[in-house]
Amino acid sequence: MKYSDVDVAVIGSGPAGMAAAIKAKEEGAEHVLILERQEQLGGLLHQCVHNGFGLLYFGQDLTGPEYAHRFVEKVRDLGIEVLLETMVIRISGDRKLTAANSREGTIFLRPKSIVLAMGCRERSRGQLSIPGTRPAGIFTAGTAQRLVNVEGFIPGRKVVILGSGDIGMIMARRLTLEGVEVKAVVEILPYIGGLIRNEVQCLYDFHIPILLEHTVIQIHGEQRVKAVTIAKVDKNKRPVDGTEQNIECDTLLLSVGLIPENELSRMAGVDLDPLAGGPVVDERRETSIPGIFAGGNVVHVHDLVDDVSWEAEIAGAWAAKLAQKGDLGKKGKIILRPGRNIRSIVPQTISGQNDVTLYIRIKEMEEKVQLRIGAIYNQAFRVVKPSEIIKVNLLQKELNSLRGKTTELIAECEPFDLPA
Amino acid sequence: MIEEKIICIGCPLGCETTLKIGDQAEVVKITGYKCKEGRQYVVEEYRSPVRIFTATILTEKSARPLLPVRTDRPILKSKLKEAALTLVRFKAKSPVRIGQVILPNILNTGADVIATDDLLD
Amino acid sequence: MGQMETEVLIIGGGVLGAVVARELSRYKVDVILVEKEADFGWGSTKTNMCIVCQGADTLEFRPEYHRSKLVWDSMPLTEPLCQEIDVPFKRVGELALIRNNEELSKFQKLKSRAEKIGIGSHKFLDQETLRQMEPHVTRQAIGALYDPNIAIVDPVRLTIALVENAGQNGVKVMRETEVLGISQKVNEFEVETNRGPIKCRFIVNAAGTSVDRIARLVNSDDFVLYPIRGYVGIFDKNLGGLIEHEIHMRPDAPGQMNIITPSVHGNLFFGTTMQPARRGDYSTTRRIAQIGLQNVRKIIPDLSEKDIINSFAGFLMFRNWEVGWHECVVQASLKVPRFISICIGYPGVSAAPATAREVTELLRREGLRLETNPGFSPFRKAPPVFNKLSEEEQMELVTKDPGYGHVVCRCETVTEGEIVEALRHGATTLDGIKFRTRAGMGRCQGGFCTPRVVKILARELGIPEEKITKKGRESRILLYKTKELLGAEL
Repeated sequence: MKYSDVDVAVIGSGPAGMAAAIKAKEEGAEHVLILERQEQLGGLLHQCVHNGFGLLYFGQDLTGPEYAHRFVEKVRDLGIEVLLETMVIRISGDRKLTAANSREGTIFLRPKSIVLAMGCRERSRGQLSIPGTRPAGIFTAGTAQRLVNVEGFIPGRKVVILGSGDIGMIMARRLTLEGVEVKAVVEILPYIGGLIRNEVQCLYDFHIPILLEHTVIQIHGEQRVKAVTIAKVDKNKRPVDGTEQNIECDTLLLSVGLIPENELSRMAGVDLDPLAGGPVVDERRETSIPGIFAGGNVVHVHDLVDDVSWEAEIAGAWAAKLAQKGDLGKKGKIILRPGRNIRSIVPQTISGQNDVTLYIRIKEMEEKVQLRIGAIYNQAFRVVKPSEIIKVNLLQKELNSLRGKTTELIAECEPFDLPA
Repeated sequence: MIEEKIICIGCPLGCETTLKIGDQAEVVKITGYKCKEGRQYVVEEYRSPVRIFTATILTEKSARPLLPVRTDRPILKSKLKEAALTLVRFKAKSPVRIGQVILPNILNTGADVIATDDLLD
Repeated sequence: MGQMETEVLIIGGGVLGAVVARELSRYKVDVILVEKEADFGWGSTKTNMCIVCQGADTLEFRPEYHRSKLVWDSMPLTEPLCQEIDVPFKRVGELALIRNNEELSKFQKLKSRAEKIGIGSHKFLDQETLRQMEPHVTRQAIGALYDPNIAIVDPVRLTIALVENAGQNGVKVMRETEVLGISQKVNEFEVETNRGPIKCRFIVNAAGTSVDRIARLVNSDDFVLYPIRGYVGIFDKNLGGLIEHEIHMRPDAPGQMNIITPSVHGNLFFGTTMQPARRGDYSTTRRIAQIGLQNVRKIIPDLSEKDIINSFAGFLMFRNWEVGWHECVVQASLKVPRFISICIGYPGVSAAPATAREVTELLRREGLRLETNPGFSPFRKAPPVFNKLSEEEQMELVTKDPGYGHVVCRCETVTEGEIVEALRHGATTLDGIKFRTRAGMGRCQGGFCTPRVVKILARELGIPEEKITKKGRESRILLYKTKELLGAEL
């Protein structure tokens, strides 16, 4: 294939990138090209050797590599072009794309549409500003996951995990099964950061101590981590004097949140949503720059891989349509705004012309609430939690009544007494 | 009569339920659940707390040091650590196809350990 | 190991030891430079705020101090030096913010004092001009004293480049070599190190935070120094365009130093507290981090904690306990012949070139013969930085070495080719690669590239991955292999 002929270029080949590329091809785009920086397709799925993937998408409980494998076969069968070990190093607002690899050097493309599917990255220690020394032995949970499951290395034998994100809990189980002593999972919030399934099956199953409303206040050790000091925190997340305790360990893992990978989105100049973390998109997953689409964790961090793939398929489908037609017609007019106890909503704008699924992230845990979206939707919940995204399906016919009238829809959670 | 606490994982609520267990290990009473599905889940979790076991095994003569594996059906959670120790003895040699049985009937659980990826180099 | 012998032994591979080594390499003199860490510039040099100042930039400055002279004399030398050894030098200019008339009159006095000694580049700016130059600066500033001459460098890169150039010109360089004792013989010293004894006739003690301890080894403690801990934070490079000048403000409390500056790599550095602390305690505390952020927000109110990608503490040795303008140490021992100690404190980088000349002169006076080294070349070429090349140059480089097409660190776009090149230039550790190539210095702080860099290090050094360290000695990164703790035979 000549690079000048690319209809849809997809950046990244994780559960988002492959799904987007497959969908784009199925929707009739002729030249679909995946650019992947690693040596194989699949992105982070390879290091996720645990199960829990595909329950919704395939109706089966698969591991990460198995989930990837199904998409890889389809990519191959459909004849989607793939450039491996290729890093996209620049995107401009007019869809000029520069990539580099060791076979061809720098590669220049100007695809008709681009799908951003770079996924997300982990928050690092620097961003947390954890005080203390700067020894070896501090890793993000995802880096440790790659080391343990793919590269074949165990970072250390006595581990403290800061943060109770899903990867952190999954690593607590993995490391325990690999003979490591996981001394504690330390969470600053009064509740676990990840899914309840992981809380039970990764922590309780193995009797791993969980310290809620605690945080690491100091790291010790000049060369290698020797210990961490943890302390209880008050309501404002400030350490409480007198509650300090030292935990001897050689490794500290951080599982304190994921952030969409914005390096290229920023370079392209698409508008970013500081609340969801990634580019602002409409229901087609088109960003503020025509022809640049985004799907999966690059837009907002999902709970389930199945949703990542589904969302990316939307981006892939519309990217293919744009590549064929050259124009998608009028853009979304209705802006969705987070109201009380709502952190973020994706997509951020909708047209009202299609059925749409909203992904709503809650700010703080709250019991007995109703979620209301303008006057067109409300639903009662026993509990809402930041760790569990809420999906809301809005039908076109419900939205139809708004066309031409509203330019803004507010979603909010409000206290609500459930009927017994 | 003994009591057992089980957290329901059916929904974000995470109900903490208490099971009263009779002399014949039968469930006498359950409290703390908030829905029918939850009740059913905790009974099953009490009778047979099973999990899919996932792990990696070492490889031989491959650029990849590890091959991911899992059991093809859930096994008792009390067997997970022993299963991990059992697999230490096994080394995968190319070619291995995804789904291929690596170890049949691990620890007499009736579950086979299968490869969850190809190993073809 | 056989007995090592040299004429001059330089103790310490920070910017001062490095610049002296490079200066001495102009002459036919045997020189060994020893550094106790695994790479150069990891001590006080790293803590430097990257600024090349001319001395007269804070109200506390003392023109009569020897240190002032070293800084002024260095001013015209630093840029040509950076050009010769191919390290970035950027004249960004400096803004000292003025908040009220009291400060204004103090800065007026500073300006006239500076003019008296020949520094005439200062200019007062009104609020409007200031805001045109730096729109994000606090509205509390009614104006600023502007000095266009102030520049920024990367102090660690500068140090490495100096060491490399010295090495090319014949200086022997030894890392992870710690001085444990010094005995004085008739006409020489015998220096005990963890790598065996080194005989030498002259010693240049540029040991940074250990400079007084090394002097004490020969009972030559003619000076007293206080370890002062500074705190430096780094903002994400997406804020790189927020300011264009080095900006500082008079601290509101003693021991503080409100300053923010662009770095040559596009991040923003801010330094805030300078306080006496137990030497060697490089830990940061929550309180200092908070003060730091509060202070830098006094200059640029828009800055948020969220954009801090890293922070660290470092030590500088000051002659004054009350951190302020203070005198340096550049002197031959009063008691021990052929033993010279140097310690500048805060503007070590700014004073480096003139200090090197002065040390050379001191050595000559102590009896060192200085004959020109006919083979001396002042030039050293920096390894290619893929990210900074044009598309044609990138293409050419990849054709020559495919490793340059393989991007290992996505945040800073660092390629495998650059990492291998850094290894060839002497990096042996993860931090060594980080300071030399910037792999791991971006916003993910090594989350993605760490396993990959460890792999490349192991491959190129021909050692197992488990032996690779973060910064030498006991700082191994990967302690076991998967399955090892379960008793597998590996």
